[in-house]
This record gives sequence, C-alpha cells and structure tokens, in this order.
Amino acid sequence: MLLTSVYLKTLRDARVAIAGWGLGIGLMLYTVLIAYQDVIATPAAREALATVAKQFSWLAAPLAVDTAGGYALFKYGPLVLLLALWPLLACSRILRGEEETGALDVLLSVPRGRVRVAVEKLAAVGTALLLIALVVGLITYAGGAKAGADFTLGDSLALGLDLALFAAVMGALSLFISQFARERRTATGIAGGLFLLFVVLDMVHRVYSGAEWISRLSPVYYFNESKPLVPSYGTSVSGLAVLFGLTVVLTAAALALFVRRDVGGTVPLPITLGDDEKAAGEIPHSWALRSVYARTLARAAWPTFWWTLGIAGFAGWLVAIVKQLEDQINSLAQSTPVLAQMLTKVGGGGTSLGTALLSSLFTFLPLMLMAFAITQSNRWTSDEDEGRLELVLATPQQRPRVMLASYAAVVTSMLIIAVTTLAVTLTVAALAGVPLDAGRLVAAALTMIPLGLLVAALGYFLSGWLRTAIDTGLLSLVVVAWFVISFVGPELSWPDVTLRASPFYYYGTPLVHGVQAGDIVGLLAAVAVVLALGVLRFSRKDVSI
Amino acid sequence: MGAMIEVRGLTKSYGGKRGIADVSFSVEAGEVFGFLGPNGAGKTTTIRILLALLRADSGSAGIAGHDCWEQSLTVKKLIGYVPGEPALDPNLTGGQLLEYFANLRGGVDRTYLKGLVDRFELDLGRKFRQYSSGNKRKVVLIQAFMHRPEVLILDEPTSGLDPLNQQEFDHLVRETRDEGRTVFLSSHILSEVEHTCTRVGIIREGRIVRVGGVEEIKDIKRYEITISFAEVVPPEAFAGLPGVAAVASIDSGRELRLSMNGAADAVVKAAAQHRVVGLTSHEPSLEETFLRYYEGEPEGAAN
Repeated sequence: MLLTSVYLKTLRDARVAIAGWGLGIGLMLYTVLIAYQDVIATPAAREALATVAKQFSWLAAPLAVDTAGGYALFKYGPLVLLLALWPLLACSRILRGEEETGALDVLLSVPRGRVRVAVEKLAAVGTALLLIALVVGLITYAGGAKAGADFTLGDSLALGLDLALFAAVMGALSLFISQFARERRTATGIAGGLFLLFVVLDMVHRVYSGAEWISRLSPVYYFNESKPLVPSYGTSVSGLAVLFGLTVVLTAAALALFVRRDVGGTVPLPITLGDDEKAAGEIPHSWALRSVYARTLARAAWPTFWWTLGIAGFAGWLVAIVKQLEDQINSLAQSTPVLAQMLTKVGGGGTSLGTALLSSLFTFLPLMLMAFAITQSNRWTSDEDEGRLELVLATPQQRPRVMLASYAAVVTSMLIIAVTTLAVTLTVAALAGVPLDAGRLVAAALTMIPLGLLVAALGYFLSGWLRTAIDTGLLSLVVVAWFVISFVGPELSWPDVTLRASPFYYYGTPLVHGVQAGDIVGLLAAVAVVLALGVLRFSRKDVSI
Repeated sequence: MGAMIEVRGLTKSYGGKRGIADVSFSVEAGEVFGFLGPNGAGKTTTIRILLALLRADSGSAGIAGHDCWEQSLTVKKLIGYVPGEPALDPNLTGGQLLEYFANLRGGVDRTYLKGLVDRFELDLGRKFRQYSSGNKRKVVLIQAFMHRPEVLILDEPTSGLDPLNQQEFDHLVRETRDEGRTVFLSSHILSEVEHTCTRVGIIREGRIVRVGGVEEIKDIKRYEITISFAEVVPPEAFAGLPGVAAVASIDSGRELRLSMNGAADAVVKAAAQHRVVGLTSHEPSLEETFLRYYEGEPEGAAN
C-alpha cells in the first residue's frame, strides 16, 4: 500500500526519521519538564534560576523560566532547532540526490509530470514534519502534565507546529539551493552553514540593543516569536505565517527552477557551486590516493574543516564571553548561594565560578565531536551499503587493515579538531585575559577525543549488522541518551550507576578538576574493545551490496 | 598445467533463501572459462566467494592452490576483478580512481596502464558519477587488467559497452589467454562466450548443470533435419529411429521435420528408401541450447 504513489513511497522512506526525530526531540523536552520541580524546589532556587537565565539570554530568551514550559524552552534554547537537520538533508536528497544516483531518470520516465513528482515528494516531507510535530507535541504535553505545568495540549501541539514550520523553511532552502548545485552534499553544506548563521543572527538582538533588524533576517527569530509553552506569552500567528510564507516562496521558486532545467543539470550561476565539472584528463599523482587511510582523510577534509571551525569557534566564543559574565556571576553567587550550588552541580564546582560556568558550557564540545564522529562512521557504513568497498576489498588489502585505516583517518580528523580547539581557546584566553589553567584547558580539549573515538568505534561496530540509516539513527539516539543522562541526571539526582552509563560522566569537568586518568584509560579501553569487536565482525561477515 | 581455479561442493544460502548449492568446477591455467546462467542463478554469489567477499557455508574455493577465504590476501594479489555493478567513489575522476587502485595494488606499469586507457579511449578527467554506464564499465575494466593479473574474474564485463569497445575487450581477453593467464568470465551473452571462451559452465537455480568445452556444449544440442520427398511419406517411417526425438509432418506429408538428438545415420538410410527432393539440416546456436537449459530441462539430461 505504501508503494502505490510517489507520495506514499517518500513517506515510507521517512518512517524511521518520523519515529526517531519525534521521539528524540519529544523525550528531550519531556525529561527537562519532569526535572523542573527538582530545579525550583525552593524559592531561593527559583530566584537563582531566573538570575542565571538572564546571564544566558544571548543563548535563549529567559522567558518565564520559573515555569515548567519557560524552563524547558530556555534549557534547550536553539538545540530543539536541530530538527531542521532532517528536512535539510531530505530535501536535498529527494531531487538532487536522486539525480546523482540516476533514480530520478527512472521515476520521471513514468507518465507523471515533473511538478507532480516533485510536489508528491515535498508533500511527503511536509506530512512527515507534521507527524514529527504531533509526536513532539504529545510527548511534551505528557511531560507537562506530569510536572504540573500550566500549558494545554493545544499549546504543546503549537510548539510542535512552530518547530515543524521552522524545519520546513530550512528544508525549502536546501531544496532551493540544490537547484544550483551539482551535488547534493554542496547544497546540504551551504544550507547547514546558513542554518548556523541564522541561529547566530537571532542571538544578535539579545546581545546588542537596537540590532533587532539584523535578527529579523533570520527564520529563528520568527520561530522564537512563539512561546506556546509559556501561556502568558502564547503563539505568534504572524511568526508562524512568516515561516509558512518563507516555506511556500522558497519551495515554489525551487519547483519553478526544477521544471525548467535539465534533469542532472543546474541553474547557471556566475560562480560554480561545488566541484568543477571536469578535471585534468590524465592519471594524477596525489598523496590522497596512496592508501585507504589517505583517501578517507582527504574525503573528510572539508567536513573536518567546517566542524573544526564550528567547534573551535564555539570554544573560543565561550572563553571570550566568560570574562564578561564572571564578575556578575561572582557577585550574584555571593548573594544567592543556590546559584553557586547549581553551577557547581553542572560545571563541577571549583575556586572560580567563571571557570565552573565555562566548564559546564564545555560539555557541549565533546557532544559536537561525537556528532562529527557519527557523520564519519555513517560514511563507512554507506560505503559498504552502496558497494564501494567491493573493489577495495578485491585488492590485496586485508579487511581489518581497510577498516582500521578508515578509522585511523577519522581519529586524525578528530585530533585536528581537538588540537585546533585547544590552540584557539588558549589564544582567546590569553587575548581576553581570562585566567585559565593551561594544563586543564589542554585536558578539556584533548580528553574529548576518547568520547569521539568511542562513538566512531560504536558506529563501525554497528555497521557489521545495520544499514546506514538505522546505524546512524541508533547511534544518534545513544548519544542523545548519554547527553540527557549527564545534562539532566544530576538535577534529578539520578543514581550514580545511571550517571556512570554515560561517557560524559568520565569526561567529567576537566577545566575544574583536571583529568581523571583512570576514567580516560577506562574510556580508551572501551574504545579498544568496541573497535576490536567491530574489526572481528567485519573480518568475518559477508560484504554485500 | 594444473587447475588455476578449483571449486568443490560450494554451498551458500542467504538465510532461508537459495544462493548456490554444491557447485563444483575447475578452471585450468591459461583457460578462458565462461560461466553462464540467467539472472539470479548464482553466478555473482560464486564470484563473490572467489573474491572472499562472501564466506561459503560449506565446500571450498581455491585459486592457484590458495584457499580463497583463508588466504584471501595471497589470492587477491593474483586477481583482477570486474564487478557486475561497479560502485566507486562518485567524486573521483576516472584518472584518480585508476591511480587509487594502482596504489592499493602496490603500483602498476604506467605505460601499460596508459596503453589500456588509449585502447578504450577513456576520458580520465570526468568524475565517476558523470560517466555514462559504458564509460563506468571501461574504468572498472581497465583497473582489472592494469596490473596484468594471473587470473581475471569478470562479472558481466561488457554490459553497457558499445560494439567497438566490446571488440577491444575480446582482443584483450585473447591477449591475456595467449600470455597464459586465466580468465573467468561470467556472462549471459552467448556470442561473447562462444567467441572468447574455451570451456563453459552452465549454472541454473544455484546448481551447475553442465561443464564442458564450447564444442562439447554444442554437442548436447538438438538439431533439426527437414526432408522433402517427391511423394507422401508417413511420419511413422522415421519415428522411433535411433537419434530421432520427434517427427512432424508438414506440406500434406511431403515434408517431414525431424528433431534430432543423436547421430543421423539411421535417418539418412531410411530417407534413401524414398525419392528425396531436398534435405536441410539446421544447427541451433548456443543461444538456443542455452535457453533450452533454462526452460527447465532436467539437470544432466544431456550428459
């Protein structure tokens, strides 16, 4: 039944995403909502929360954070917008991706017009987003009901709709850009970069007064105009209308371009998006083609560059702003001891509250590195799924060597990211006059590597059984679960055994407490075991298309 | 010369689904062996076991005396491989792909490689994803031959090639054979096998149904003799004669069409009892023989 039309087939392809993203985002919100009562257990704690929220207003608007809904929206800030990654990837795949593989040629050979095929595919993505919104809304409502929140089912569904509309804008943008790019990955990369830019643009008006016009250039601004979980603020119909309008305009423009251009071709631009059509017609000599390791590393070069820019830039930004916050936080902490306790709980505590604050924010760095590890292990799995390992394995290369060479390239990329992050943070700390312990900064930057290694090893291990989509989905779910355990677990006073189930526990708070050698050795031992099992599995399994 | 490829009792299933069962054959060194079968017969499964991409449930597969699974590294040093469905990094150019695989093989004679590129007139500057299916096939063909392997394992190698390049491929296979190297060629194009192979194995529904020389395979085929007489001759005069499988009467009994599966001696002698005005013999192509095997003739019926 699900294969009776292009619409249903596309919707069927999205079923894992609907379940994964719906449950993932929904459970994130649910967990924070049920933790809310513990966070505001006393009036002093409630006051401290409101105070610290103001310090983080650059990240997310601190609106009614002393309510369950306001706290949940503030706690995750722009993180919930990660949902946009799915339509961003899906919309570059449904046309450009299928043009690359040739699948669209076959599809367009059936007696259906181009517009109809494209519209059916886009309608399926839209339906999938609405279903995700429904799942998010229902789970959020359940969390709110459990926490005794004052928002209704309609409010939580409005949050889901707001999220879905923002995600739809990013998907439409990706679709539009893909009309100009030769490759799907180019469109995805540009749209992903714009996504980050939009998040930053939205922050501008919360840091600089009078700069609201800049933030209005970002769809995130219109997403944030609605705060459905804060009944006193409500849902902005105009904000939703702008998001809907942007989606319609971008989609219509993309469709108009699609029906006029060659299938497999691009809309001409003065500059070329992506690689040149033709390279030199000779057999080249290049270090990047010397081995599986070199080839994998070269292939990861651009992603490594962009992720380095993101992670190192974020770390540098954190160090730069912590100086501005430190004085205020210190004075606030003296008058509000609960605030000090809160920061201590999250950041690990220490002599300097500013350092504790920085330490708590540094938790995001290994999370970002783990996300990078997921993308790279995804490449390995898709190479096998799509038969690209077949000819490599037909050469005199041992299977363990092929897998380890690929893994070593991922390790190298992560080392580059970590070392660059270290160099940037040290430089920014020196320039901004932030008195950070260099040794502990080194520890904070380098000890995130084992966490990335663990996720990559797990991805390679799971590829022994699972297809790309399921492997990536499962790995993402595991990382999100680990993060939630460490992000919310201490607030809920979860038992130590649960907290220890997350690798973030072993990362600890290196900026404050330095490296716990035993924990790092334990993490590396886990990496070695998972990787060895992955290699063993790959050495014995049937390699099939 | 001894067997270069030795397969004994090879069995592989995919869960409950059939793969291959008890497949046995051998290919001598310097031989061009054709491996024939319809889609889904088990050709690619057999090849992927030879390549150690799949592990057999039972049986053995060896190349040059080395076990294909246990000594896969040694085996892979000896072979060149063309997969049935070439999947390569879509963002590398043809030149980059050839350079990459040359490096993975520890280097190749670049002059010979250049010669192959010229013979197939391959444009090395385009990315793999931009190639037509024929040009993609050229890339994988060149990478299979470029290191002058002792054994070439080719899975539907000419699929997508134009006639000129197919001809070039035939020349390349003959050169390889003349140099004493071995070619294992899976195909369903009979003319290709008929022209290039010295021996043929036919696989159907996962089982080998016939292995023999190309001429030997032809020997199992039925042929037809049509005899025109001056008068009406009853079919019964020929039915039941040695070598006659079936008799059909046409043209009001003045012409008989005999389906033969043996020597024609008895038929010729019986025809001499009448006034014969014409006699033609039609020899079916290997294609027809091949099709007959696929149409469900009992295994080994022709053995």
